[in-house]
Amino acid sequence: MVIKPMDTAYVSNSASNAAMAFIRKNLFGIVILAPAALYLIGFLLIILYKVLELSFTFDGPDGTLFPTAIHFIELSKRSEFREAFTRTLWFTLIGTPLELFVGMVAAFLISKEFKGRGLIRSLFVLPLAIPTIVTAITLYIVFDFPGGHVNDLLMGHHAFFPFQIISYPVDWRGSEFFALIVSIFGKVWRDMPISMLIILAGLQAIPEDQYEAAKTLGAGAFQTFLKITLPLLTPAMSTVLVLRSIEVWKEFIFPFILAGSYPLLATLIERAYHEWRNPNEACAISLVLLGLIIFSTVFIFKTLKWLRHRLVRI
Amino acid sequence: MTTKTQKTVWLIVMILMVAVVIAPIFVMFKYSISDRSSVVTGGQVIPLWPYNPTLEQFESLLAMDSFLAATISSLQVALLSVAISLVIGTPAAFALVRYRFPGVMVLATLLISIRLFPNIVAVVPVAEVFLKLNLVNSVIGVAMAHSLLSIPYVVFIAMGVFETIPKDLEEQAQILGASKFYSFTRIILPVALPGLAAGAIYVFLLSWDEFIFSYFLLAFGDLSTLPVLLKKILSWTPQHNLLAAISVMLSIPVIIFTFVVQKYMQAGATAGAVK
Repeated sequence: MVIKPMDTAYVSNSASNAAMAFIRKNLFGIVILAPAALYLIGFLLIILYKVLELSFTFDGPDGTLFPTAIHFIELSKRSEFREAFTRTLWFTLIGTPLELFVGMVAAFLISKEFKGRGLIRSLFVLPLAIPTIVTAITLYIVFDFPGGHVNDLLMGHHAFFPFQIISYPVDWRGSEFFALIVSIFGKVWRDMPISMLIILAGLQAIPEDQYEAAKTLGAGAFQTFLKITLPLLTPAMSTVLVLRSIEVWKEFIFPFILAGSYPLLATLIERAYHEWRNPNEACAISLVLLGLIIFSTVFIFKTLKWLRHRLVRI
Repeated sequence: MTTKTQKTVWLIVMILMVAVVIAPIFVMFKYSISDRSSVVTGGQVIPLWPYNPTLEQFESLLAMDSFLAATISSLQVALLSVAISLVIGTPAAFALVRYRFPGVMVLATLLISIRLFPNIVAVVPVAEVFLKLNLVNSVIGVAMAHSLLSIPYVVFIAMGVFETIPKDLEEQAQILGASKFYSFTRIILPVALPGLAAGAIYVFLLSWDEFIFSYFLLAFGDLSTLPVLLKKILSWTPQHNLLAAISVMLSIPVIIFTFVVQKYMQAGATAGAVK
């Protein structure tokens, strides 16, 4: 009993010794790791702190209120915010499946060996090599009103496409529907290579003997696709859906350039910050967007997991 | 479905897809070499190929002060963010690969997954903080913001490079009496250089393209990077051929690096790995 204090002293001493030994042994590692960890984690903490601070603080004439939900209440009253919210939902609901679909089409096109496959593959990766702002500006030019290439084409002005689909030029950027469609087109065009490469990797991971077995058992092309390719491709498709949905939620450049009068949540952040001069509301919108992204990611993840359990029984 | 109809469908979809992928890129190049009469047509159909192809847009760019200034700022920002992210990111990646202390993998995952945080959510807080620190409208501020995006990539790429370098290499150097710092800078880094160069190019392109942070930090100042200049010019409703010429100038380095240098770089990285 008498030796107990000595005992704890010995233990704590050895613990600090161990810590010292640990630090001495890894000193170089800790020193060279510290700058990056401090820079990134420090910035992340500052950003999170600032977002929360700004969106829950109100600087009124009678002093500062914290915490307060006043910015969220104000936002929910603004028709601009409600419209942006609805637009963002539609944008994501249409854009995400479309990204997957186009990526799959491209991947299937080049999955089998043919002459010039390497060239086509490089060509399909080209959208990634064009800066996003340049793609947006190019679409701005192509979908111009009244005299843009797309209007000319759809009015049947070109010899190689002599079908008159519309009789008057469409004001693409001046209509909510078309402005969002053009933005989705840009987003899908730009991201196609990423979805394509993920799906392609998934396709190539499917063992050839599966197809041979199906063929011997007399399965047709359609059956093989439905019963072998699609189920075995679900992991790659899930990856595309989860990653792409995050990207589509937070898309900024295309709607900013092409749908300036019809903001989504991401572009409304810019408007709140620059036009309304209201960083607090800008951060409140950011938080709403962040919440939506987290919720939808978890939702898609859970749904896909459930689906895979139902679909693939091994 | 017979094989023949299958092939026809495949061909039609392929042609459509190739057309859709090429069309915007073709239009951008076409506009950049268009003369005035092929752009301002007064209600006539815009020709698919300019009446008189010309390089005068590029010549006028070279005489345009705002374009030259933006090019220089873009280069400064990109090079500075390459420097910051390599100096901070490379050593961290080395530590994450070589030192297996508890929690190191959690830290590595955390550092890389910071990239998943949406830019557009981070941009207002960063702009507000930089406003207080006087880093708005400055090359250093934009480069710091870009490094925030690129350090996770550098850590990721460099971890891959260091994992291919055998541990014996530095152990031998240390047995011969080299310090850890000396063996890292003089033995490991030179071997890792080709792989790190790929990372550097990646960071350069990321910064060269980057729009969101640059725009929030530079929207109301005199300083512009090339993407921000494009957006600022857009509000004066400029001629489309000028926009296209700037777009081409902005895209050329990216296309070249993505297709020509990347192949060489990948070869270089694996060659470096084999010693």
